[in-house]
Amino acid sequence: MVSTEPEAETEINLSPMIDCIFILLIFFIVTTVFVEEPGVDIFKPDATVDFDLEKNSIIIAVTADNKVVYGGKELGVSGVGARVRALLNKDELPVIIQADSRADHGVFSDVWSEVKNAGAKKISLSTRND
Amino acid sequence: MPRRSVLSPDEETEINLSPMIDCIFILLIFFIVTTVFVEEQGLQVSKPDAAAVSSAEKKESVVLEITQQNKVLLDDKEIGLADVATQVKARVSDPETPVMIRAHEKSAHGVFVGVWDAAKRGGAVQLSFSTVN
Repeated sequence: MVSTEPEAETEINLSPMIDCIFILLIFFIVTTVFVEEPGVDIFKPDATVDFDLEKNSIIIAVTADNKVVYGGKELGVSGVGARVRALLNKDELPVIIQADSRADHGVFSDVWSEVKNAGAKKISLSTRND
Repeated sequence: MPRRSVLSPDEETEINLSPMIDCIFILLIFFIVTTVFVEEQGLQVSKPDAAAVSSAEKKESVVLEITQQNKVLLDDKEIGLADVATQVKARVSDPETPVMIRAHEKSAHGVFVGVWDAAKRGGAVQLSFSTVN
């Protein structure tokens, strides 16, 4: 701004903006959970008596062609136990099994048993959001 | 002068906040971008434990079977998925009655979840599953 008077100074008061940004920042820091998502397409089964599961969980997926996936990598049924045990050693987390509707029940059951034997306290199966 | 100073009217101390705002913005953008709101819905399922197995022997239990062809059987008679809830409601007299789902390992997971859901709607509390081959 070209001003004829040298004393006149225009300044934007930034403090309220900083307050707002801090509040946003704190909100996002508090709500962020770093969950390893399987990253595969799962057609989840539908259910009516389902409830909301915990956000911070270990998610294991079983695809339609019976592959067991964790964090974008294929584990296989036998690899689930060791992986879940290692994750539970760090932090006591609930486990969610995301199994495809078309997957074999036997594979789901095997994964469930592996997770249970690894010492998981809470095991849930995932259903479609409605 | 926009502000009055107590010490000297000419001198003005002010912290330059712009670099801090830059930093905070970068942090904010990082957290906004990485935040995923995982909304998972689901059911908690369980296999029968030793206590449930012994009580299943004592009391009359309801056994739902899922065959390899995804058919639902109750007492060796085929029933539709829609009838599971009413059948379970008729048989579960008290909440302690154990309800077991015996699914074939080659049956579809979706059918198993459907039966579990229907049994739960029918009022089954002691619900468990096992797998047969």
